Order: sequence, then structure tokens, then C-alpha cells
Amino acid sequence: MRVVVADDAALLREGLARLLLEAGFEVAGLAADADALLDLVEQARPDVAIVDIRMPPTHTDEGLRAAKLIRERWPDVGILVLSQHVHAGYAIELLSAGTEGVGYLLKERVSDLAELASSVQRVGAGGSVLDPTVVTQLVGRRREADDPVKRLTEREREVLALMAEGRSNKAIAERLFVSEYTVEKHVGNIFTTLRLPVSPDDHRRVLAVVAFLNAQ
Amino acid sequence: MGISTAETRPATTAAARGVTVWQIATAVAGLLAGAGVAWILSRHGSNSFGVPKLPFAVPVVVLVGWSFIAGGLLYWRSRPENHLWAVLIFQGFAWFGSMLNNSPNPVLFTIGQLVYPWQYASGLYLILSFPSGRLRGGLARAMVAIAIFLVTVGNLFWLLFADSHHSMCRTCPANLLEVTRDDAVVVGVFYVFRISGIVIALTSIGLLALRWRRASRAQRHAVMPVAVAGVVAFCALTVSYGARLAGASSPNALDAFAFYAAAAVPVAVLAVLIQRRLARGAVAGLVVELGEPGPGADPRAALSRALGDPSLALGYWFAAESRYVDRNGRPVELPEAGGGRRSTVVERDGQPVLIHDAALEHNAGLVESVSAAAGLALQNERLQAELRARLVELQASRARLVEATDAERRRIERDLHDGTQQRLVSIAMSLGLAEAKLPADPEHAKPIVAETRTALAVALAELRDLTQGIYPTILSERGLSAALDELCSRSALTAHLRLFLDGRLPIPVETAAYYVVSEALTNAAKHSRAAEVRVAASCSNGILTVEVADDGVGGAGNGRGSGLRGLADRVEALDGRLTVSSPPGRGTTLRAEFPCG
Repeated sequence: MRVVVADDAALLREGLARLLLEAGFEVAGLAADADALLDLVEQARPDVAIVDIRMPPTHTDEGLRAAKLIRERWPDVGILVLSQHVHAGYAIELLSAGTEGVGYLLKERVSDLAELASSVQRVGAGGSVLDPTVVTQLVGRRREADDPVKRLTEREREVLALMAEGRSNKAIAERLFVSEYTVEKHVGNIFTTLRLPVSPDDHRRVLAVVAFLNAQ
Repeated sequence: MGISTAETRPATTAAARGVTVWQIATAVAGLLAGAGVAWILSRHGSNSFGVPKLPFAVPVVVLVGWSFIAGGLLYWRSRPENHLWAVLIFQGFAWFGSMLNNSPNPVLFTIGQLVYPWQYASGLYLILSFPSGRLRGGLARAMVAIAIFLVTVGNLFWLLFADSHHSMCRTCPANLLEVTRDDAVVVGVFYVFRISGIVIALTSIGLLALRWRRASRAQRHAVMPVAVAGVVAFCALTVSYGARLAGASSPNALDAFAFYAAAAVPVAVLAVLIQRRLARGAVAGLVVELGEPGPGADPRAALSRALGDPSLALGYWFAAESRYVDRNGRPVELPEAGGGRRSTVVERDGQPVLIHDAALEHNAGLVESVSAAAGLALQNERLQAELRARLVELQASRARLVEATDAERRRIERDLHDGTQQRLVSIAMSLGLAEAKLPADPEHAKPIVAETRTALAVALAELRDLTQGIYPTILSERGLSAALDELCSRSALTAHLRLFLDGRLPIPVETAAYYVVSEALTNAAKHSRAAEVRVAASCSNGILTVEVADDGVGGAGNGRGSGLRGLADRVEALDGRLTVSSPPGRGTTLRAEFPCG
């Protein structure tokens, strides 16, 4: 799988490249800002672009805007946005443009090589990845007594969080050591309780779940 | 309390209060002249050439003359620097003089004929220059100059050729100035007189109308009676002359109209004077109004009502900022010379100023009494204005402090994000890498672990610098002396430190002093191109003085840089003062003084 990395901090750019190589990815190029990233993506046509959200010149959300441009121009390039801060709003903004091949991770997550590798793989394969911290933030919000999320069982909430992270039923089943059938049952319950339209598509349900959590 | 009005000499108003011998003599002469004219008119009646035969003509003649002279005397007393008084008195005597042409005595008759038209010129001057006594504009001056030429030279020329019986009236005595009778010249000159008269009257109406349109409310208020009387008189003159030019045989009704219209001018002048006297009565109301306690009392509104100038503004001297402020502490600009506004300084301690319409300049007496009456309230108001000005200043500095705090937070966030966080993430990545290599390839993992340890040491050093920058711990732990010592030893320039401090000072004072020295050292290293810098701190008589002097190029901004402004705010927040002296080529000295009792 071919990957490009955009980060204005050389230390992280190089470090990430080393990790990706170690994990068996092909690093097709490195960029220090959004413009260089767009050029790089156009030339190298990678499977995944790993993008730091905060880059020059304004050091705000250049990475996010570059990600949206890549989404529009090269829809088959997966995008994994890295952020140093937890901003659920940014994550949702990113997912709103389409959940296929999109991920939002906290930077510190990349130190776990296995986690990084699996995230890049998932994004490259057209799945979606949402950082557990963001999901925890969304799920763990203070909620009104009549909030439907409160009516979910402990286990159902666990499943909801894993869904929001972008995991498939199979992955959730593996994670929770239950059968895929049990997960499907939980998912059905969750959708009924939250009154969400049932969607068989793993990708679309991420946005549905996240948007629901965010709106409450 | 003294008053000085900008653009007028301050001494004249006060010096002219006493009644002088000349004024008494003028009054007596005026009374006698009026009596004399009354005697002539009642004894001989008017000849058909002089006063029209009208009811009450004699008392009207006398009262008009006396009104002019009385108005002149009143002006002479209150506004001697305004030449209108002379014009008014001249007009009065010219009026009486013109009545001599009713006398059967040839000498008096001839004098009367000679003097008779003078009043037209002085009346024109009076109407066009009221109330300043100065003619403004070339057209007005030209008009008066032509009138003066016509009534003096023109009239004399006419008299040289005019036969009294033929050209004046059948019962008139001889014209003693007649050299040779020439009826053609007499008729020609008459035409010139009348046509010029009409042209001047119409032009003057136009001038008055133009001024009326441009005048402020206060100015209109000040001139209205005279302007109206003037326009009526000019109209009457135009109609009367026009009728004669058109050959009307018996223009007696028109003559009467012109006569009474002319009589209205001095009445109007007196009306303006009386109106001013009455306005001073408003001063009493002002005293009552301003004397009432309560926050609602607004001296500006009260003064504005008393002076009849809705645009009146008050300015209070705010010494701290060396400028005038209004009651809300906002800056007030004094009017520039030559504009439509004037400022009058009320000379009290705080020197409040009135900024008023230029029209009030001609009524300094009223401004003076009003200011005197408002004095105490103004004094109060000045203190309040100063308080509010300080508040405005305080709000600005508070806003700057908040801004500075935010900027500082942004800076710390950036430092942490770009420095420490990146390093820690990178360290985490290295550890991840080492962890992945460890089971299969421990040999390659080892250098990665060593690299990670070095990175961690760098991250810790960076973090230490950062926290030191957020707040110097040595300052809270060991005090100002130790902190300054450390600052100087870390300085990029050679720094000589002299300390005269014993014991600890209040922490806010120590912190501010520390930042003054820190900022000054940073600036000196960055901009001054200095070789060395001297730092001194001493505490005596309850004042902490901190001074940083470099031997560099000087020319540093005097408090305009945001860094210095922020320092000044910090120092002023503690009631201290920050001064910067930076003459080009002679180094920069930053000096801060704090009360530290």
C-alpha cells in the first residue's frame, strides 16, 4: 500500500515515515504543507494520505481543507487526518464529506505501530476510522434524562462506540469476543432505540451514529 | 474669576466699566441736539423737502435720533472695542443734522443739506456690519465705500450747482454753497444718486439674505431684529426712489413708508441690546438650575439654554493626557481660529473652556456672567470629567492587559504545540518502533531507545525554558535581587548590575520590575547594537527605581511599541511610572518607578 505524509514538523514527518516503512507500507513522498501535499497526491496517487491538521501558513485547519480538496479531486485516495487536539467538530466536518476512506486520529495514537498499521489499512481499503478519544467524548457527553442514549445497555453503548470508531460488525465481534450475530442484534437494538434509519452499509452508519451523538 | 475670549483682548471688557467724561458729554450733546431739532421743527414746521408731513413726525424724529445715540452709548460702555458704538452715535447726530434743512436760516439750511445724506452711508454700514462692527467681504466694503463717496463728494458736487428754490423747495432759504446754477447737472446727479441707491439697497438685501442662509442659529438670533429692519428700510428706499425715477408726482405715502422704515433701524438695534440684557436675567435661572443637586444636572445643557447656543460644548482640562475632555472623559478639540466657533477659557484651576458659536463673541458680557454663575458647577463637573477620563484610560489599559494575556496564552499554546508536544509524539513513535523491533531484532532496537532518551532530555530542557518564561520561579522563591542577578547573567549582552535592595518587596512590584528589566534586556540585545548594558535597582523613601541603560544607537519608540505599552500598563497598574529616554546615538534608558511602601 502506498502512503504519503504531510506534516510541517520534520521530526514527526520522518518518524512517521520510519514507522510506516517498519509496518511494511511504501512511503511515496513527504510534504511540509498543504500545497506540497496536493502536488504530491497528484503525482504519486497514493492509496492513503496522512495529513497533519495544523500546518502553515495559519496553523489552524489547513490539513482539513487540503483533505476536502483531495476528497473532491481524487475520491479514491484515502485520507487519515492527524490532530494533536480532540475536536469532535473537525472529525464530523471531515466525515460529512463522505465516510469512505476517511480517518481522524490523535497524533499520539501513531506510537502503537499495530494500531497505526490497521488504521492506514482500513482507510486505504475504503473504511473509516474515528479516534476512540473523540468517540468517548461524543458518547460520554452529559445527557438529559430523556436522551435515548441513556436507554441503551452497557454493552450496546460499547457497540455504539466501536461503530462510531468505524469498525465493521466483524471487527466489533472480534473485539468484544462475541459472535457476529450477537453484534448484529445489538446494532439492531441500538438503531431502534435511537430511531435511526437502519443502514446495512458500515460506512454510512458511521456518519449516522456520529452525527446523532454530536447533535444530542 | 476672569474671562478671556479668544481673539479679543481680555483687558478691554473689564476696563471699560466706568462711565467716562466723553460718554457724559456725548449724552448731553445728544439731548441738546434732539431738543434743538425739536424746537426748529415745531417752530418752523418742516419744509416740503425735509421731513414728510406726517402725524407724530416731530416726536418720531427726536426719538429716532436719541435711540441711535443711546444705543451707541450702551455699546460704548459694554463693548468699546466694537466700533459700532461710534457708527451709532454718528448716525444719531447725522440724523439730527439732516433735520437742520428744515430751518429758515440759510447757514443751518446749508449745513443740513450737506449733512442730510450722511445717515444713509452710516446706516448702510450699521446694517451690513451688525453686530461685529466689521464689514466682511469685498462686496460689503465696496458698497459702503461707494455710499460714502456719493454722500460726501457727490452731495457737495450737487450742492455747487443746485439752486435751492428751483431744485429743493420753494420756501427753502438760499443754498450758500451754490456757485453757479446748472439744472442739467442737478437732474443728472439726482439720477445717479437714485440709481446707485437702488443698486446698493438691492445688493445689500441680497447680502443679508446670503448671510442669513449661512448663519448658525445663535447668529440668526443675534442679528434678526436689525436684519429685518434693514431689509424693510432697503425695500422702502428702493420703492421710494423707484417711484421718483418713474416720475410719480406725489410720492408722499411712499416717503412716509421709507421714513418710518428708517426709524425702525435704531429701534431694532435697541431691541437687540435689550434682548441681551434680558438674557443675563437667564443667568439667575442658571444659578438655581445648577445649584440643584442630583446627577441629572448637566451644566452643558443649562449653559446652552442660558446662552441660546444649542451647539455649545464644554471642555475640561485633563492634565494627565494634556488635552481637553468632555464630561464623559472623551477628547474635545478646540476650534481653530477663523472658523465659526470660538472658545472662551473660564480661568479657574481646571480651566474649563466653553466652545461656542462665534456669534456669542459679541456678547462677552453674557458669556462672562453665565460662566461666573456656572463656576462652581463647572468645577464639580471638571472633577467628574477628570474621573471619567481616567476611567476611559483605565478601561483602555484593562482591555490591553486582557489582550496581552490572550496573546501570552496563544504564545504558550504555540510553544507547547510546536515544541514539547511534537517531541513527545516523536518520542512515542520511536518507542513504538523500538517495541516493534524488540522481539525479532533487539540489536536494532537498542540505538532507537538511546535516541529516544536523548529526545526526552531535549524535550525536558525545552519544557524547563518554557515554564521559566511563563513565570520566573526564582522570583517567587528568592526575590527580585536573585532574579535580576540571574537575568543579567543570562543576558546576551554584558550586563552590569547594581542593587540597593534589602528584603522582599510586594510580589506584584517585584514581578513588574523583573519584566521591565527582562524586556529592556531583550530589546537591547535585539535592537540597540549596544556593547553593554547597566542595570540598577534601588529602593529608597518608599520608591523602587529600576533602570536599564544601554550604550547603543538609541531612537527607540517612545511608548508606541506594544511591548513597551504593555510594560507601561503593568507599571501604571501599580501606580508606577515608566519613562523611556532614547535620543538617537546616545543609548536607551528605560526607567520604572513604583511606590513600594
